[in-house]
Amino acid sequence: MKRYFSLIAILITFALIFTGCTDTGNDTQDTAKDGEITIAVACPLTGDYAQYGEAFKRATALKVKEVNENGGIDGKKIKIELMDDKNDPKEATNVAQRLVSNKNVVGVVGHFSSTACLAAAPVYQKAGLVEFSPTSSHPDFTKQGTYMFRNINTQEIEGPIVADMVVNRMKGKKIAVIYINNDWGITAKDNFIKAAEKLGAEIVAEEMFIGSQTKDFTPTLTKINEQKPDVIFLAAFYSETGMIAQQMKQLGYDYPIAGLSSLFNEELLKLAGDAVEGINLPTNFFPGDPNPVVTDFLSAYEKEYGAEPDQFAAVAYDTMGMMIEAIKKAGPDRAAIREELAKIKDYNGVTGIITFNENRDVVKTMKILEIKDGKFQLVD
Amino acid sequence: MFFQQLINGLTLGSTYALTAVGYTMVFGILELVNFSHGAVYMFGAFVVLMLMTALKLNFMLAFVIGVIITGLLGITIDKICLFPLRKKKAPKVASLISTIGVSIFIQNLVMLVWGSETKNFPLVLNLGSINIGSLKISYLQIIIMMIAVVLMAALTIIIRKTKIGKAMRATAQNMEAAKLMGVNVNFVISFTFFLGASLAAVAGVLVGMYYQSVDPMMGFMAGLKAFAAAVLGGIGVLPGAILGGLIIGVSEILAAGYIHAGFRDAIAFGILIAVLIIRPTGLLGKKVQKKV
Repeated sequence: MKRYFSLIAILITFALIFTGCTDTGNDTQDTAKDGEITIAVACPLTGDYAQYGEAFKRATALKVKEVNENGGIDGKKIKIELMDDKNDPKEATNVAQRLVSNKNVVGVVGHFSSTACLAAAPVYQKAGLVEFSPTSSHPDFTKQGTYMFRNINTQEIEGPIVADMVVNRMKGKKIAVIYINNDWGITAKDNFIKAAEKLGAEIVAEEMFIGSQTKDFTPTLTKINEQKPDVIFLAAFYSETGMIAQQMKQLGYDYPIAGLSSLFNEELLKLAGDAVEGINLPTNFFPGDPNPVVTDFLSAYEKEYGAEPDQFAAVAYDTMGMMIEAIKKAGPDRAAIREELAKIKDYNGVTGIITFNENRDVVKTMKILEIKDGKFQLVD
Repeated sequence: MFFQQLINGLTLGSTYALTAVGYTMVFGILELVNFSHGAVYMFGAFVVLMLMTALKLNFMLAFVIGVIITGLLGITIDKICLFPLRKKKAPKVASLISTIGVSIFIQNLVMLVWGSETKNFPLVLNLGSINIGSLKISYLQIIIMMIAVVLMAALTIIIRKTKIGKAMRATAQNMEAAKLMGVNVNFVISFTFFLGASLAAVAGVLVGMYYQSVDPMMGFMAGLKAFAAAVLGGIGVLPGAILGGLIIGVSEILAAGYIHAGFRDAIAFGILIAVLIIRPTGLLGKKVQKKV
């Protein structure tokens, strides 16, 4: 029996290798004669994360459609090469191999998760093809090479923005910090504290909790209450934030709460109701934004797909927009596109005004939201 | 601050005590550590929540129906996963592993059916709180504590004074002999599981209401802590479950409040280990002569 299995496995492997070859061969043939410009979109289209890939697929297709209707790039139409990485690092590497060997692909929008991005990065770097991830926030991603770009603020960028919100807007001179004890929470808290202290605030308490295990925050809150802080800053996700807010209310403590963009989730309102009233948080994309760039995107997206875009669709839309911007200046040349993309300044996107820093990490403006009357609302 | 922390600790401890009562009762009768207790506790909270939100039943009705449904789940667990093992005279550890399997099954089932996100549990019994100076004790905290004590007392009466209680004790002492004396052993075991699972549901609902949230993983840590509480107090001894729960709750809160939140579980379980080294039977446990 065992021998048969290995035989079948070998046959399947060969079959896969050969189909792979013919596929890339076909791509090269039918796009070369059209004189089109091919941009790849690599994201999970099947598997657990397919919903995010679907947002990428729809938003990038919408951007391309808009550009093509306005004459494309120098009269050339843009074509999307859609690839499914199943959010699996192995699969992402395969996708990257295929894309770099397809000479028509001038740039890649993707991948979705940091894991997939990091796995595929060496392949793109070696071949010199831009990997522009809308969503990878892992600090190491853009350190993988000069062709890696991201379109989401890292904690290093978000920390100072939130610190400014807490110290200047919420008048927080004495700040208590509660953070989730994992990579994300520690990085977020460190960046926040560094920036807040620079702005002259005092950190009066620093308390951690263990994600998904800690349900009872009463000892932490009672301890913080002793310090009488002006603001409590949370580096946490919505589920814990809801519990912290509710337990604060039960204990009768009334301190303003500030959070990170991770809290922008309708579930928070459902979970904690009026306990989360008054929480302040930053965000890149807010559907209620009166900015015409945002309202145009919303109505175009709704017309095309009959649904409201989420933040993943918004950021993918901007990513494709910036990629096209770079190609317009550079022409269909992989290395030149990298140079032009890095030079983009003040791109007016739906997720903010976008510029890259020297590490190809994006620096975006953020909007401040406050929970008022059971809704997320934009404050000035 | 110290007294407020003490109150925080006593409340947390009474949620453990409430859960531990069910644990220790099943152990007392069957000598089986029922690791599915935590998952059943979570299931109970979810069923009551769903009856309230999906079927719009009022709280008391949803509570009663939910507790009965969860009790029936307890019987089902026994009939499908434990009865066949008993029949084949499988070693006790096989039943224990089986209950771990059941708990994983229930967790995943709940995630599949109702989703894995944390859900809001409405605060139905919002009775406010008493303020003594800067101290704040909510009535819900007092109710949780009272219910733990009342349930313990009721169970003690059932086990000590009623006919079914006598049958349970007989089954606990020697299943074969009880059978020969005309005790319907299978009914007694089913009844025990029904009672244990219903107690878990009561605890799940009260804890869900206290934290105003439920999630499919809520039973895991709570189950572990309740188990520790039962062992600390002396497993199989009902008042021990309450004492153990309170000690673990208070030490956990004081550790988080005065030392570091990272040590809260380490210190709570450290106390458990220390007590067991000095008194292997737990604080209120009696030395029982092993059956031969």
